[in-house]
Amino acid sequence: MRNSWIIALREVKERIGSRSYVLFAIFGPLIILGLVYLLFVFGGNEAEKWNILVTDKAGILDNKLMPHPDPNVTYSFANDYIEHTDFANGKRYQQYDAMVEINEKVLSNKLSYVFYRTKPSFNLQAKVQYQVERRLEEVMIQRFTDLSVQTFREIKQPIKFSFRNVYDPYDQTSDVRTWVGFFFGMVILAFIALFGMTILRSVTSEKSNRIVEVLLASVRPQQLLFGKLTGVGISAFIQFFIWIIFIGLGLYLMREWMFPSIYDASSMNMAELTDNGRILSVQEKLYAGKEFNTIVDLVYERVNFGVMLTFFVLFFIGGYLFYGSFFAAIGSTAGTENDGQQFILPVLLILALSAYAGYYTVANPESELTGWLHYIPFTSPVVVMVKLTYGYAAGEAYQIWLSLIVLLLSAFFCLSVASRLYKNGVLQFGHRLKLQHLFKWLRK
Amino acid sequence: MLSVEHISKSFFRKQALDDVSLGAEKGEIFGLLGPNGAGKTTLIRIINRIVEPDNGVVRINGAIMTRKHLEHIGYMPEERGLYKSMTVEDHAVFLGRLRGLSKQDVTAKLNYWLDKFEIGDWKKKRIEELSKGMAQKVQFICTVLHEPELLILDEPYSGFDPINTELIKNELIHMRNQGKTIVLSTHNMKSVEEICDRVALIHHSKKLLEGRVADIQEERKEGLYAIRFRGNMIAFANALWSGFEVVDTENPSDNLFIVRVKMRGENTFDDLLKVLIGQVKIEAAWEVLPTMQDIFISIVQPKLTEAL
Repeated sequence: MRNSWIIALREVKERIGSRSYVLFAIFGPLIILGLVYLLFVFGGNEAEKWNILVTDKAGILDNKLMPHPDPNVTYSFANDYIEHTDFANGKRYQQYDAMVEINEKVLSNKLSYVFYRTKPSFNLQAKVQYQVERRLEEVMIQRFTDLSVQTFREIKQPIKFSFRNVYDPYDQTSDVRTWVGFFFGMVILAFIALFGMTILRSVTSEKSNRIVEVLLASVRPQQLLFGKLTGVGISAFIQFFIWIIFIGLGLYLMREWMFPSIYDASSMNMAELTDNGRILSVQEKLYAGKEFNTIVDLVYERVNFGVMLTFFVLFFIGGYLFYGSFFAAIGSTAGTENDGQQFILPVLLILALSAYAGYYTVANPESELTGWLHYIPFTSPVVVMVKLTYGYAAGEAYQIWLSLIVLLLSAFFCLSVASRLYKNGVLQFGHRLKLQHLFKWLRK
Repeated sequence: MLSVEHISKSFFRKQALDDVSLGAEKGEIFGLLGPNGAGKTTLIRIINRIVEPDNGVVRINGAIMTRKHLEHIGYMPEERGLYKSMTVEDHAVFLGRLRGLSKQDVTAKLNYWLDKFEIGDWKKKRIEELSKGMAQKVQFICTVLHEPELLILDEPYSGFDPINTELIKNELIHMRNQGKTIVLSTHNMKSVEEICDRVALIHHSKKLLEGRVADIQEERKEGLYAIRFRGNMIAFANALWSGFEVVDTENPSDNLFIVRVKMRGENTFDDLLKVLIGQVKIEAAWEVLPTMQDIFISIVQPKLTEAL
């Protein structure tokens, strides 16, 4: 054990001292934070601000659209017809991002063109359409019916079919959140692939520079393998903790300094909410809360990071040991470094399939195949992470522990096979690795 | 000290060692000889418990060897490597701790060796900054750092220039004088003659020869004597008559000759000197013993021919 620890410490020191490790520790979290920032900025509908000119020659809209101004969209009215070419090139129109054309026959032909300079997001398109439609609706109600707007809208309301999971009637585990599970699973796979390759390189370089024989004169092959896996694993964990600290700190700073209004009630369009609140559906209420951002909500409120990180660590350890044994076995049995990289391709392919299994679980969380993938050690680290976000019903929590036990038992089995291959293969040099070598060394 | 008893080892269909027994006494340098592929490295790996034998045992001071004994063994393989990115000091600490030393012990002993080899300024250098010969020196230091009772060296001189070869050789002799046992696998027959007390020759997985170097040479001598003289070669030949046979002649300078002579009949070295004195000016005369190189080739060559 002492010797394994000495070997592990050497691995940690070498990894942490390497330039690539430091760069990965710095730029990895920065890239993630950058992506999160972009999602914050563009993921919600508060980001774009549009200045729109409404051309309404017939004065149908009566120069108004909404009772209260929208913080993101400003409407100006022109009671004239403007050619879209004039709008495109005319100096006086350059301040407008788009032009909404309300023709004289709009109440009958129900057609309106919107000319934009840069294409707006779907959210903004929907918002403009929603606001113009509602104003036209008011006009039509006044012209063609004796009903009040409120009564008309009550009659017009379609029956909403809200599909709810009987075990989660309040939709506490939304589809969006499962992507967080998928993300965690992908981080596990990415770290396994990255540090698995580190194991492979470390073993093959020890073979190629022949120091392995010196080491084996002091330690057992199993101790050497275990020390190496532990050392690389600890480096991976240190890397991961650096990520957690950087990303956590980054998210905190973003919330405090860059997006201070995220949860500020004053930034919500409360008037819109209260005016129409009584007759709006839940989704419409959310839509009316102008500053609402699903990504922000997801990151800061809806993910239980405590549970996710706990199981992330457990399944990372299991997955790392499981896959790590493959990388170590291939590294020790390969004759050359290139040889090893060829044999590693199938393992990387399995990792890619495992990523697909995670995606499949997001789409089909309850399917029979997902049930199997949940226990198969190749796929369980990522599938369990996704399933965790759906939550386990009371009485089904054993499934996650069972999956973990299966993963750990498989990891120990693979480690014992890998150490046998390691012991017999690590002193073989210069050969071209064939499957028969592996079978031979397994039998020895 | 070291006793190898009836060791056999095969790798699938290939027999690497076949019932090999040998032993090295405390305070001696034992040479392990043999052509490439003879099984020397396999035997060394078995002694170091890197490879397990199919049959036979290794004993240290009479007791069956266990992993615990490895702490008292220093091993420097032929294909030796170092971690290129580590400094000399870190490397020594790493390998020293694996051999059971504390970090403080390693540092103290490392300083001793670096001072002894006058390479104190290498301590903080990374291995990749060192030349091959420098790295070999570091490797040697790492091997002896824990003051092993048994030192096993596979081709210890490879990569060393003559000066460093001499340095290592003197160090090995010094260690032997301190009572350490050294097992040396080498193709350098000159060094075998110079420093080995006893040798064993392995060929085709079997031990063919074991004994003291002087005894082996004595057993295999062919009654040859060499005379270095100044004078006339014809006069020399005439003096010999039929009682002696000239085997070969060297003529390093004008009237200087070195002639190797074989006795015929009952003639002795004294008789040879008697017939020559007065005929030529004898500068030196000695009995020619076979070199270890000759013995090695004489044993291995026929076997190689048979194998072909």
